[in-house]
Amino acid sequence: MNARALALWSLSGVTIALSTGSPVYRALVLLCALNVLLAFRRPGVSLRGLLIALGVAAAIAMATTTLASHTGDHAFLMLPGGIPVIGGPLTLEAAVFGASTGLGIAAAVLAAAPLSLVLQPHALVDALPGALARTGAAIGTALNLIPGIARSATEIRDAQRMRGWRSRRVREWPDLAVPVVLTALEGSITLAEAMEARGYGSGVRTHYSEQGWRSTDLIVAVVAVAAAAVFVAFRVTGAIADWYPFPDLSWPAVGVAGVLCCLALLTPVLVWRR
Amino acid sequence: MTGAAIASLSGFRYWYPNAGVPSIDAVDLDVDGGITLLSGASGSGKSSLLRVFNGLVPHFHGGTVMGTATVCGHEVIATPTRVLATKVGFVFQDPELQSVYPSVERDVAFGLENIGTPAGVMQRRVGEALEQTGIVHLGGRAVATLSGGERQRLALAGVLAMRPRLLVLDEPLSQLDDGGARALAATLVDLADQGIAVVVAEHRFEHLRALPGRSLAVVGGRIRDVDAVARNRANGAVRAPLTSTRTAAPVAWNLDRVAAGPTRVPVLESVSVEGRSGEVVALVGPNGGGKTTLLRTMAGLLAPISGTVHRTPGRVAYLPQNPMALLHRPTVAAEVAWTVRGDAQSEDATALIAELGLTHLADRDPRDLSTGERQRAAIAAVLAGAPHIALLDEPTRGMDDAARDALCSVIVRMRNAGTSIVLATHDRNLAAAVADRTLAVESGAVRELTPAAVA
Repeated sequence: MNARALALWSLSGVTIALSTGSPVYRALVLLCALNVLLAFRRPGVSLRGLLIALGVAAAIAMATTTLASHTGDHAFLMLPGGIPVIGGPLTLEAAVFGASTGLGIAAAVLAAAPLSLVLQPHALVDALPGALARTGAAIGTALNLIPGIARSATEIRDAQRMRGWRSRRVREWPDLAVPVVLTALEGSITLAEAMEARGYGSGVRTHYSEQGWRSTDLIVAVVAVAAAAVFVAFRVTGAIADWYPFPDLSWPAVGVAGVLCCLALLTPVLVWRR
Repeated sequence: MTGAAIASLSGFRYWYPNAGVPSIDAVDLDVDGGITLLSGASGSGKSSLLRVFNGLVPHFHGGTVMGTATVCGHEVIATPTRVLATKVGFVFQDPELQSVYPSVERDVAFGLENIGTPAGVMQRRVGEALEQTGIVHLGGRAVATLSGGERQRLALAGVLAMRPRLLVLDEPLSQLDDGGARALAATLVDLADQGIAVVVAEHRFEHLRALPGRSLAVVGGRIRDVDAVARNRANGAVRAPLTSTRTAAPVAWNLDRVAAGPTRVPVLESVSVEGRSGEVVALVGPNGGGKTTLLRTMAGLLAPISGTVHRTPGRVAYLPQNPMALLHRPTVAAEVAWTVRGDAQSEDATALIAELGLTHLADRDPRDLSTGERQRAAIAAVLAGAPHIALLDEPTRGMDDAARDALCSVIVRMRNAGTSIVLATHDRNLAAAVADRTLAVESGAVRELTPAAVA
């Protein structure tokens, strides 16, 4: 798959998820993104941590909105008015609005997640336009340093432990943190020196593996961008209705155009080979 | 500059920023084709001199320069490193810190990408470089899965892909096993035959002394010619080990049918071995053979997957391969004192610093020292306080002859005092000088080598 095509698909998914308040459209984007992730994630990549984090984020969004927004006709609990911020009626409308907000966050994050969970870091860097190539290479290199820093932290912890360092003593934590930070910094400087010695910054960079556009890549990119453009245009003109639960909770309006725009995000699953 | 010289330095002097003493002092040097070997004590200025050839000194490191340096027709002072990079290939000492991309082919291609090589040409040249360095079989591998020796060859492939006229290598053998070192030496001869000028700074000359070319020494930042006799000096000077007392001494550590591996995948399988107090055991074997895993298992840093590990009570000292993992105090003296904090061993610590030739560096920040000096500081830091068992992983890495001699003396003294010492090393001369027993660690198994096999 072409990284630029996937990046355009992600951008389209995020755009749709954030341009509507409707939980239906947000849920559709979320399901499409989850499908793409399940179909194309890199071998060995687990979604468990991401999904748990998104669940927690959505729960926090729902709880915050419920506790802080006291608008709506259907109160289900009354907190004493003397309590700052959360005092007052807790309403069904606020809870549902909070849940929808959490759904929107989850949909947007899942739509962006393939950039890190499907693509190799260097593929994304290579997909950057020429003007950003040097910056991209620096970012890719920085990403490549992270596993090394983690290994080095383990090595330092072991070495210091053999000299009597104990993690239980807070005052001894700098004896671990200082060499970890210094080693990471020195590693970065050495790497910068090695990059300079290999001509980094000479001029226009080329790429070892040029990412060609196949017809399926074009289909994914064009369909995703068109879907996002149509969705936003219809939202602006009112052809796709927004949803707002205040003051009285109502079902979100669902239109064929909106649903089709969201379902268009399933295109990668249909045209890209797994 | 002579007409034929690929690189030429004339009256060249260089001071690092804020340094009062020049690291390179009045050097006049012409590098023509063939192989040039540079030797010299730790901190003598070898690495600084090498960095002049591609302009990292002074462009990357800053500082003050006097004199002239010309490389491949370019004035170094007026030419950025990124331009010289198309003419000069530089392989750094630590191969782990020069990989840029996570996969082998991409990493080799990094330099070519930087100079705008078209993709088609790049793929051909990457293939050629992999072939030239004998690592075609590593194609498609993740860099993180390579051994130190494989990474060193990968780094070499990365610079050869750029087709340099001058190849500069800073202690390329420091992490290589015997096989890797021999192969690299052969590669260097091939490259010289192809017309590439090669400059190598190295302490381990046992694999290089037969190479054609000239030999120079760097002493206090100045260049000295070295004759062949001096070149073969200490590395060939094998000391006879002291008479072993192992059968009479108590067992200090014991592994019984141990399987172990860093990710719970066995690197060692059913290993049974023991060591005694007052004994030096050398672990030898190829890169990736399991020496470090064995040491870490002995130290208790790695829990065995199966089997049992026994150590008699007492402090266990452990020197990791990377000395930077230890050094965090503001001075060498403070670093050593930290190990024995709370103990009444400060006099021993001072004596150990002196024994390892670090007295004049005791008030310096250990991270400002050269690689060999850092290694000695790390050794002093772990061996302070008379440990019961000492486990040293590649202790002579980056060390010059004098430092290696000092380390041998410390090891022998500690052995005679009853410490059980285990060394994982590629340095055959160290093993021959101090080891009572030599164990070969290879393909997950450990076997004892006879004296004839060690020789």
